[in-house]
Amino acid sequence: MEFISRTQIIVALAAVGLAVFVLELVRRRRLGEEFSVLWMAASVVIAALGFSTPLLRLITRILGMLFESSTVFAVGLAFAVAVLLYLSVKLSRLTVEHQIVVRELALLRHEVERGGGPGEGA
Amino acid sequence: MLLIIPALNEQGSLPRTLDELRLHAPEHDVLVVDDGSRDATAKLALDRGVEVVRHAVNLGVGAALQTGFRYAVEHGYEVGVQFDADGQHDPRFLDALVAPVLEGECDVTIGSRYVTASGYRAPLMRRLGMLVFSGVVKLALRQKIADTTSGLRAYAMKVMEVCQRDFPKDFPDAPLLIALARRGFRLREVPVSMRERSAGRSFYTLGKSIYYPYKNLLASLMAWIQRPV
Repeated sequence: MEFISRTQIIVALAAVGLAVFVLELVRRRRLGEEFSVLWMAASVVIAALGFSTPLLRLITRILGMLFESSTVFAVGLAFAVAVLLYLSVKLSRLTVEHQIVVRELALLRHEVERGGGPGEGA
Repeated sequence: MLLIIPALNEQGSLPRTLDELRLHAPEHDVLVVDDGSRDATAKLALDRGVEVVRHAVNLGVGAALQTGFRYAVEHGYEVGVQFDADGQHDPRFLDALVAPVLEGECDVTIGSRYVTASGYRAPLMRRLGMLVFSGVVKLALRQKIADTTSGLRAYAMKVMEVCQRDFPKDFPDAPLLIALARRGFRLREVPVSMRERSAGRSFYTLGKSIYYPYKNLLASLMAWIQRPV
């Protein structure tokens, strides 16, 4: 197996390490399966680029990058942006759901404390 | 008719507001939505015999209003009035505010400080903001709303039915007006005069003075182009 530089080997091993860590987090139920998907995809793609020099050179040429290392960083950055955006979307939805739950809880508590249900008053 | 009073840490001014309401508008039901206060806001309100719904955590004035709308719709109120806890609003204007909604002339009325001279003079930055959002609303609605940030409004039941589900978050100002107008609800401004807040802190703090215009502009734009839910 041919490597361009020591950095490529480090990146490839780091990607494998990340994949193992993500799997371990899922196994320990610290990370949900759905959230692990993007992380796994990122580590698999980066590991593939790290271990396969012809693939790395091909993609570097296609993207018009000057250096192979830039390709690895660009791909890594793209995944980081994707993960952050995905989390922002999730968080926005959670915020809305959280608000609904708090509001429902407030109204239910009010009803329980008053000992009656809706429909009174006018 | 139900008066909905969103309140966050308003123990300093809420009692006076409630006393004033009892004096000038005793016939109306009052609901205080305590939006996660850490002081005696809820207790003081309960002591005065009004209904109190308490959010377990602070959600913002928009969510507090939504809770109020939900309550109003569930309890069959024909009109809901948004009323500030801080003593800025004068209960003597309530009848004039609610009348057009009750008579079916429009669906939402906005108690406006600018329709006629009312003696109120906002700080410069706020005036600037109001001018901008008034422009945004005018552009979107082709209707002039001078006081887009007024927290004194009356809503017909059909408006509250929609708003309890779908409502612009955080600040129910210009984005709300645009969203309501896009749904075909008729808005109208009613002249009122307002006072300085008597105690406590406004929802609109200095730290939000940059964030608020950005968010409100974006939300206004979205309210304009989004499909109503």
